[in-house]
Amino acid sequence: MDDLLADFVAETREMLEASEGELIAWEADPSDHARLDTIFRFVHTVKGNCGFFDFPRLERLSHAAEGTLAEIRSGERQADAELVDAVLAIIDRISLLNDMIEAGHDMGDGDVGDAPLIAALEPGWSALAQKSDELCAALNTHTPTGPANAPRSIRLPVDLLDRVMSGVSDMVLARNDLARRLREAEFGSGLDPAVDGSFDRLSTILVDVREAVTRMRMQRIAHLFGALPRLVRDLSAELGKLVVVDIDGHEVELDREMIENIRDPLTHIIRNAIDHGIESPSSRIATGKKAEGLLTISAWQSGNKITVMISDDGSGLNENAIAAKAVANGMLTQNVVDAMSRDDILQLIFEPGLSTKAEAGAVSGRGVGMDVVRSNLERIGGTIKTTSSPGQGTMFALEIPLTLGIIAGLTVGVGDYRFAIPRSYIEEIAHSMSAAGESGELQFSQVGERRFVTFRDRRIPVLRLAEALDLKQHDRTYDPIIVIVRLASGEVFAIEVDAVFDHEDLVVKPLPPAIMETGVYAGTTLLDDGNPILMLDMPSIAQQNNLVDPVRIRSAHNRDDEPADDTANAQATGTPMIVCNSFDDRRIAVRMELLHRIETVGADALDRDSSGDRVVIDGKILPLIGLPPFANGALDLPNDRLRLLHLTDGNATVLYAVKTVLDSATMSNPVSTTPGSGNSGNNNYVEGLALIDGEVATVLDGLTLFRRYGSASVPVRKLSCRLPSGEPWAKGILAPLIKAAGYRVLAATDPDAADVSFTMSGPDDRATNDTDRDEPQIATIRLRASAESPDADNDDTIYRYDRDGVLAALAKAAGGRA
Amino acid sequence: MIDDLLLMTQIGGRTAAFRAVDVQSVIELEQISHVPLAPPHIKGLTALRSQALTVVDCLKALGLSAKSEQADDTVAPQAIVVIVEGHSYALIVDDVRDVTACLTQPRSVPGNYGVGWARAATGMVETAQGPALLMGIEAIVAGTSANVDVDVEHVRG
Repeated sequence: MDDLLADFVAETREMLEASEGELIAWEADPSDHARLDTIFRFVHTVKGNCGFFDFPRLERLSHAAEGTLAEIRSGERQADAELVDAVLAIIDRISLLNDMIEAGHDMGDGDVGDAPLIAALEPGWSALAQKSDELCAALNTHTPTGPANAPRSIRLPVDLLDRVMSGVSDMVLARNDLARRLREAEFGSGLDPAVDGSFDRLSTILVDVREAVTRMRMQRIAHLFGALPRLVRDLSAELGKLVVVDIDGHEVELDREMIENIRDPLTHIIRNAIDHGIESPSSRIATGKKAEGLLTISAWQSGNKITVMISDDGSGLNENAIAAKAVANGMLTQNVVDAMSRDDILQLIFEPGLSTKAEAGAVSGRGVGMDVVRSNLERIGGTIKTTSSPGQGTMFALEIPLTLGIIAGLTVGVGDYRFAIPRSYIEEIAHSMSAAGESGELQFSQVGERRFVTFRDRRIPVLRLAEALDLKQHDRTYDPIIVIVRLASGEVFAIEVDAVFDHEDLVVKPLPPAIMETGVYAGTTLLDDGNPILMLDMPSIAQQNNLVDPVRIRSAHNRDDEPADDTANAQATGTPMIVCNSFDDRRIAVRMELLHRIETVGADALDRDSSGDRVVIDGKILPLIGLPPFANGALDLPNDRLRLLHLTDGNATVLYAVKTVLDSATMSNPVSTTPGSGNSGNNNYVEGLALIDGEVATVLDGLTLFRRYGSASVPVRKLSCRLPSGEPWAKGILAPLIKAAGYRVLAATDPDAADVSFTMSGPDDRATNDTDRDEPQIATIRLRASAESPDADNDDTIYRYDRDGVLAALAKAAGGRA
Repeated sequence: MIDDLLLMTQIGGRTAAFRAVDVQSVIELEQISHVPLAPPHIKGLTALRSQALTVVDCLKALGLSAKSEQADDTVAPQAIVVIVEGHSYALIVDDVRDVTACLTQPRSVPGNYGVGWARAATGMVETAQGPALLMGIEAIVAGTSANVDVDVEHVRG
């Protein structure tokens, strides 16, 4: 393909990509005339180029699009979603034809295929289209015979590019060598000074070329982000959601190959966010959110990693569904899952075989997605994590190593070794004053095994780099230099080195697994003199040397540990606890060994009265404590759901209601039984107070708890009681009474067998009941209609409105049966 | 396997053969930068033109000690450059001999060679220059670290 044509193809492709993004952005804000002008100019240029190259099909298509855009510009036409769709369809078709040109295929005259697209631009098309299915089908499916898909490789073969890059690096080394020899020669016989000038020119050119070549391999992530608005728009339309997307970090640069590698994972996550995360507009409004969901995608670089974050403000990940699915699939046992923190449960979505959607939608598939996403990322050395707040949204963070990046680095020296530290970690460099007479700016101190340096009134832990790397330490002949490091987590510490050399832009390459396993290196780079030096992994070094609080650095390693493994917890020398917020807004903690499960029940499972609270779980009535007093009035439960700690001592069960479950924790401090810390208000079961994770928590006392409630639960095989027939008052007045006594109420005509039944005694002193019902061993309670009994001595009937009498009779009947 | 070309080398007094297709080049190492904390079989890094190579001491990788402790520092060690899983390595050998054709299918390594060779060699072959152990480059770069569970059967595969 000749150069001019290649240029045309490339330029057309770029302009079309740009117009697509601009068009969608303009659709969101049609008052932006400048943007519309830009789009118009793009399409106009494409049309002009097509004419020059004699591509009649392309010309027709772009002419049609240009015409429509002109009409919109002049106000003759209003743009609606369908029109934008039609213009986008034309852009797609032009793109396809462009690819065909590149591949060298013949386009044909395409009248049949293109005509519907062009016709779609006409006003009133949509009404017409609805009447004609064939034309609709033609619009969507007719494609000219061409390449099955556009080639997925980047435009240049990578090997060729690598060859060029290493060639340029070799040139730099050769130039350095030449520079040395020239210097030597100058001291000798003296060279023509003009040589210097030529050499300098060569050097300058080389610097430019080297920079350009390295940037060839890097690409702005905008290349990937540019296609996202369209993707989001199409997906939202397909799934019936309203989504606004906010993208940030276009200028972040990545190795082109890496960009291709994250394209699929990114698309998958976005699909999930729109399909599962963001709710339908009506649901969102119902929960007080704006009808449009917000999808935020941003990228930034830190150290030797690029982080891409995708977050939505949808309904969040449903940890209960995830946990339930994990148990149902046999991945984990219920006990393990119950003791897992919310974060740990959320990370389960990356395990294979977990799908929480009932059926696979055409868009999102059946849960083979997230595990593939993670394994694909790990294959290229990246990681993925997720966090989520129920009802508020979900966030995915992808970390991709900068395998080929230019990292601003600082070279430091320890003994005979040199290392590079990414400049993004370095806060400051400090030299210690010489001891001679000056008050040192740096003061070292030692506390136990840890050394500290005081700098600017801050005491910072300091590590000798030589120690961290297990190097032989020479007697120091020079003053140590402190490099103060700040990690992304905000932790600050210092590294002591012998010398600081230079700031350089370094091209960092990956290290083989055997070296990466040491955990202290992030990569290797070549200095200008051709020697390789190692780049240090600061967060890892900090952790290995206990310079930072290990709790803060959440590593993915935690996932491998069994969350509910008590032996593992015991290593932390403490008691595993579960920490919650109680209904009286206190932080309470319960020993994990008492916790059987965490239950969530609906408000309708509760039963409250002045004597106490009960809850029905799995057909059992269980005692419930922890709620505010019944006398305080109705409970305010979010979503009408209640979280309960299902506590058991092996025999008896008690449910403890909490407002929110916080987390599992380890209590390593003793419980202090401060007088007055217990027996307050609702909670009589307090053992004392303890410091857990730095905050005070009230520890529940299992002993008193089960002493009070330690009885087996009452099975709900309630006794049944039948109402008297033919008595309309019975349903409204008698039935509730029977229910309160713990019976199951049966209507008079109910076919089920009853344990007890009521009958009305009639004025003729004969029981008016259904004699045709043959029920053996049924206790009958006879009621009379009037308060006074006609025959008080012989009467075993109870006045029907005698509450106490009726209850007593029911209890007596139950006593005989239970 | 028969008729494939092999590069014949000497390691620890034995003849070790590498498949010629695996060998990128044979070089003399001038400068090796030591990597602190690296496992013993990794001698360090070296630069080949503008590429960093990981230098592997084959003797240590096989779990053998050098026959003579005096390291001959004046002579630049010879190494063969291989690529394993996208990383370039320079494997130091005592001597690089010749390229010759493989005459037989590999048979199992006799037991008397020891654990190190048994793990790193995929088999024993005959050549015009006599018998040689056919080496597996993945096993060599992995070294003798306990983390690597090199199943001998798998290596032979």
